[in-house]
Amino acid sequence: MSLRQKYLTILTQLAPAGAVGVSLALGGAAPAAAGTQPAPPTAAPAAGVSDRLAAVRDAVSAIEGEKAANAEERVAWWGNGFGGWGWPNWHNWNNWGNWFHNWPW
Amino acid sequence: MPRIQLLVVQPTPFCNIDCRYCYLPDRTNKAVVAEDTLINLFSQVFASGWADQGLSVVWHAGEPMVLPIAFYRHAFALIDGMKPADVSLVHSFQTNGTLIDDAWADFIAEAGIHIGVSIDGPKRLHDLNRVTRSGRGTFDKTVAGIRRLRERGVRFHVISVLTAESLAAPQEMFDFYAAEGIEHVCFNVEESEGAHRSESFGQVGIEDVYYRFLSEFWRLSTAHPGKIRYIREIESAQRNVLRPQEATFFNQLATPFAVTSMDWTGNIATFSPELLGLKNPQYDDFILGNINRDRLVDLPDRPLLKRMQSDIEAGVAMCRESCEYFSICGGGEPVNKLFENGGFATTETTYCRMTKQRVTDLILDRLERVGSPAATGEALPAGMIAPVP
Repeated sequence: MSLRQKYLTILTQLAPAGAVGVSLALGGAAPAAAGTQPAPPTAAPAAGVSDRLAAVRDAVSAIEGEKAANAEERVAWWGNGFGGWGWPNWHNWNNWGNWFHNWPW
Repeated sequence: MPRIQLLVVQPTPFCNIDCRYCYLPDRTNKAVVAEDTLINLFSQVFASGWADQGLSVVWHAGEPMVLPIAFYRHAFALIDGMKPADVSLVHSFQTNGTLIDDAWADFIAEAGIHIGVSIDGPKRLHDLNRVTRSGRGTFDKTVAGIRRLRERGVRFHVISVLTAESLAAPQEMFDFYAAEGIEHVCFNVEESEGAHRSESFGQVGIEDVYYRFLSEFWRLSTAHPGKIRYIREIESAQRNVLRPQEATFFNQLATPFAVTSMDWTGNIATFSPELLGLKNPQYDDFILGNINRDRLVDLPDRPLLKRMQSDIEAGVAMCRESCEYFSICGGGEPVNKLFENGGFATTETTYCRMTKQRVTDLILDRLERVGSPAATGEALPAGMIAPVP
């Protein structure tokens, strides 16, 4: 299965739950026992990070494409709640040193 | 035309406490910004049209609440009087919370100020670094301030600086937030900036420790619904990873004037807000001009800006060429490159490995786990999606 198809399958099943549901599903996919969180996997994944990110985003575009007519609309869907994913308002206010990075709203 | 999204105003450089990791060099100075300086700033910002798409004003770079409420009532009225009717503007404070009494809580609620409180977790962790000038912990006063905000129903978030000690204690951190009713959490890492050298950054394996901390904190939040509603690092990483291919990333910190900072004397800087107030002969202390002497609209033509921008863009280009995570951060944080690597025209930092790369890894790893639970030998929680064949 291609990377894109793999992520498309995963995200197609996650998307109807909205952003909160996605976060719960991903957050809950951790190892169960407290204090046993793993380090990042040491074995290199079959694909590089940039390939994996591109495949994830292709899958997101494909899912949103069913609801939006063009690329501009897909971005608008995402920015305004991602077609029902409902991300909270977010700003890229990075890097405020030791006291302040981004504001959550 | 530049677009100011975030305007940082230093009402005073003074801070009533003396955190051990603070790099602000002038925090014993009790000077206060003059009314004329505020008028010069906001009249020019509004006249320039650079803020026509809305503006967030953060009063910070010193403890904002050491000034009286009357100062802000007057300042807000002045600004409102200059502001075009169709420009939206939000005032925000980032505060240590120690001075929030009933009057402040009422004013914050009345004025609709967005509030972030700096608290580093439970008392034993908070008081390691967030101390008075005599070395006493500030936890009790900060928590009292947070409780006043909660009593008034004021929405707030907290920012906690993670050190080696707190990174080892995700359960203790979670329990503390849950017990205090703190629902919106942002984590910063103790960084090397200005004169401060982070001990955490020097630790072997610190990036993996950060990954484990976030992973466990996220798991705890999921396992206890309704306690922590927002973890900034997780939310922003999810949004950044799970975005349509067409959504381009905008690196605010590498874009001139997207973040604009003014100190109490009227000096103006841009890019990373921490740059203002720091000494650097190579870049003339990062000061582009002074709002009391110079025209805001002339600052984009300053040779210093062009030199900084050129070096920052060179660093961004190097990140684009060399980093698998470029689409996540858009070329990183200039201030971290400068203090960790010695220049803007550089690439990876410990800061970005921790806060961008490992968090992205976490999201991608969780997607893999959701998709392939059989590979882990563990059952997924009830209600989770079926394995992908």
